[in-house]
Amino acid sequence: MEKQTTNNDGAPLRILESLGVAVKHVERPAKESEAQQILAKAFKEKLTVLPVGGATAISAGALPERVDIVLDMTGLDGMAHFDISNLNMTVLAGTAIDSINEFLSGQGKGFFLPLDPPLSKRATIGGVYASNGSGPCRLRYGTLRDQALGVRGIDAQGNEVGFGGTTVKNVSGYDLTKFLIGSAGSLCLITAVVMRVYPLPEAASVCDVTFPAIGELGKFLLGLRSSVLLPSGVTVEPVNGAFRVLSAFEGHPLAVERENRDFLALAGTFGGKGEAKMGREIMREAMRGAIDPTGEAMAIKVTVPLSEGPAALARLKELAGPAKTVLLAGNGVILVYGADERIIDGAKGLASRGYVAPVRLHRGLLSTWGPRVDPTLEQFVLRPIKEKLDPSGVFPPIL
Amino acid sequence: MEKEHVRDALQRIVGKENVLWKDVDLAVYSYDAGLVKGKAGLVVFVDNSDQVAQIVSFLCKEGISYVARGSGTNLTGGTVPLNEGVVIEFSRMNRILEIDIENERVVVEPGIYNLTVQNALAEKGYYYAPDPASQKASSMGGNLGENAGGPHCLKYGVTSNHVLGAEVVLPSGEKTWIGGKALDAPGPDLMGLLVGSEGTLGIVTKIVCRIMRSPERVLTMLAIYSSVEAAGQTVSDIIAEGIIPATLEIMDNVVIRAVEASVHAGYPLDAEAVLLIELDGLTDGMDEQMKRITEICEKNGVVSHRIAKDANERNILWAGRRGAFGAVARIRPAYLVCDGTVPRTQLPKALTEVKKISEKYRVPIGNVFHAGDGNLHPLILFDDRDADELERVHKAGREILKACADLGGTISGEHGIGTEKLNEMFLVFKGDDIRMMSAIKQAVDRKGLCNPGKVIPAQEARP
Repeated sequence: MEKQTTNNDGAPLRILESLGVAVKHVERPAKESEAQQILAKAFKEKLTVLPVGGATAISAGALPERVDIVLDMTGLDGMAHFDISNLNMTVLAGTAIDSINEFLSGQGKGFFLPLDPPLSKRATIGGVYASNGSGPCRLRYGTLRDQALGVRGIDAQGNEVGFGGTTVKNVSGYDLTKFLIGSAGSLCLITAVVMRVYPLPEAASVCDVTFPAIGELGKFLLGLRSSVLLPSGVTVEPVNGAFRVLSAFEGHPLAVERENRDFLALAGTFGGKGEAKMGREIMREAMRGAIDPTGEAMAIKVTVPLSEGPAALARLKELAGPAKTVLLAGNGVILVYGADERIIDGAKGLASRGYVAPVRLHRGLLSTWGPRVDPTLEQFVLRPIKEKLDPSGVFPPIL
Repeated sequence: MEKEHVRDALQRIVGKENVLWKDVDLAVYSYDAGLVKGKAGLVVFVDNSDQVAQIVSFLCKEGISYVARGSGTNLTGGTVPLNEGVVIEFSRMNRILEIDIENERVVVEPGIYNLTVQNALAEKGYYYAPDPASQKASSMGGNLGENAGGPHCLKYGVTSNHVLGAEVVLPSGEKTWIGGKALDAPGPDLMGLLVGSEGTLGIVTKIVCRIMRSPERVLTMLAIYSSVEAAGQTVSDIIAEGIIPATLEIMDNVVIRAVEASVHAGYPLDAEAVLLIELDGLTDGMDEQMKRITEICEKNGVVSHRIAKDANERNILWAGRRGAFGAVARIRPAYLVCDGTVPRTQLPKALTEVKKISEKYRVPIGNVFHAGDGNLHPLILFDDRDADELERVHKAGREILKACADLGGTISGEHGIGTEKLNEMFLVFKGDDIRMMSAIKQAVDRKGLCNPGKVIPAQEARP
């Protein structure tokens, strides 16, 4: 895979500054060994380090007020190793998701990495890993915790560490490949991830259906979950008072054709009207369009139990107004691209039944949030782990 | 420990009849399904999570170590008490608390058998994907502790891919929840850390699992081969074709003979290897996929093959596979199973090494393995009354694990480290990796009482 020089137009720094983070210095390592040297120096000189990828989910973590070194990880991009026969690859942390899939689609009979977070042109594998990012196709393929086989990184003392490996099954020691997912750079700098890859399915389609009423939509989604159909991803977006549902299907051509028919028939019994379109690119563009923001926007992510998805979506849309709001049905994940105080308060109200990832529009809002994490876990697990792994506070806070 | 004082305290928590202290009773809980033997100080049967929290709090104050135990089917000493610690026995916490079809979740207590959960879900048209071969006897809590796998991992993943939340009693004695029915709790993946930690970071008292709709159709084929290599090549070729079956399992002639004598699954006694292949999902296109698989089998010289006609025949074929470990007791009374994992394409080399090691140490080895994900299970057969043979068996086991690590794999795919493979951890981890794991253990279990001496080797033990 050719090394891509990701042109991020300085977006990460701009975003950090808008979030009130004072940055002293930026480093852009081109090799893992360079990242290791920077971390070792930071530990020795008691400096703070903030790793940044494509900055598409930078507020997933706890941002410090000031940081000595921003590590722009987009210089660390490319494929370290692709094992076509064993269906895995080792990819450097700063590689954008779309670049990975561009490479994979041209290999052998064609492969793909089923990760479809928002802004996948810019989102890096390391950043998606650190923020536990995902998109609609997690319904079928899971997320990083289901696809990552191993991880390489640099600890807070500047030592190289590695966990997992290249095998799907691995219970040797603690599963730090999983534990570090969602740690947002607070415990370890991620330099490379070993991922499962999948053969490209023979056929793909997207069904595009609109429902006039939320009650019928809810019944439809329950019916869909209870059926034998196996959608790869389902999104629901309120549009002009109605609800637009997109559903992707992949697999054997006969199975996909049958799923299209059955999906549309099921939708019809609940007042849904629409059509199916065949083709992988059509499917991908439709799903991307469902979850990508239409402009620069701060987003919040709310997760609720599956059965509460439609009601939570409706409530958040009511608060969000024109801001794009989409439910990843089948996962109970709602993305709201617009995060003023009203929306955040409304999301907090839903948090008792799920989780809300906090957003920082500016520092002052932090104090209005309820705890992100159960206080017992914070006191007895997360803070002690942070203190042990990063006693000098090289990395950002864990919470 | 001052036994009487501790016994009295535990009896006040769970009742007199739920604490064992006599040597003859303790002996039963001092070993697991592997070769490691320990010694229990006391055994306490718990009924609810409040009791567990009280017990752990008490033991933490007293500085007494403890280990959680479900069915004791662990194979590497993970549930064997060391230092005469207290065994907290979960077999009576065996209830299904909720089957939530609408949210595709089931909530269970840790002592329930995996198969009991499967059967309850099957009645409603659902299932829980991780299906270890021990499912008749292994508990869900034990499955979580070991990150259990099973034959269907190839397509569906392992326990950690299907456990979404748990009520946990931490080593501090605090009771709390990690995760739950909703996805993506903020912060690091604590559930991912807990699963597979072999009970060393806390004790699980409730488990929330993802359940899935039973597939519309299942097709199971048994393919017979005159060599293990040909069966292995078939597996590689199927995957290369872009087909990911639900399962790809291989057994060699040593295991086939034992299974047939025990279970009568219909495996031919003169087969050098059998390959069990299963497809599941929508019926549309499945016949065509199975046709392609059959062509691949024929290309690799399959002697014969048959597809199960109905659920009954499928169950019989699977009874053979699931009964493999128990069946080999006909050959020798004991076995050591090494569950090293290698990249799939390295399986032929791994099997060649296993054969050489078998000859070198003069120990018979039967092979049954999850071929699709490269997870070997060489069963080293021996009589544990023969001290010399036992010594050779341990050496053979260590060499097999080294071979797996040298081939780019790892030392455990699903049975865990326990105490048995502590030294072998240095085959796959550097000092800094072990240090990081050790730091996490120390952070969460400051007193080192929660199933101590397991999983993480001491740095000074590095060879």
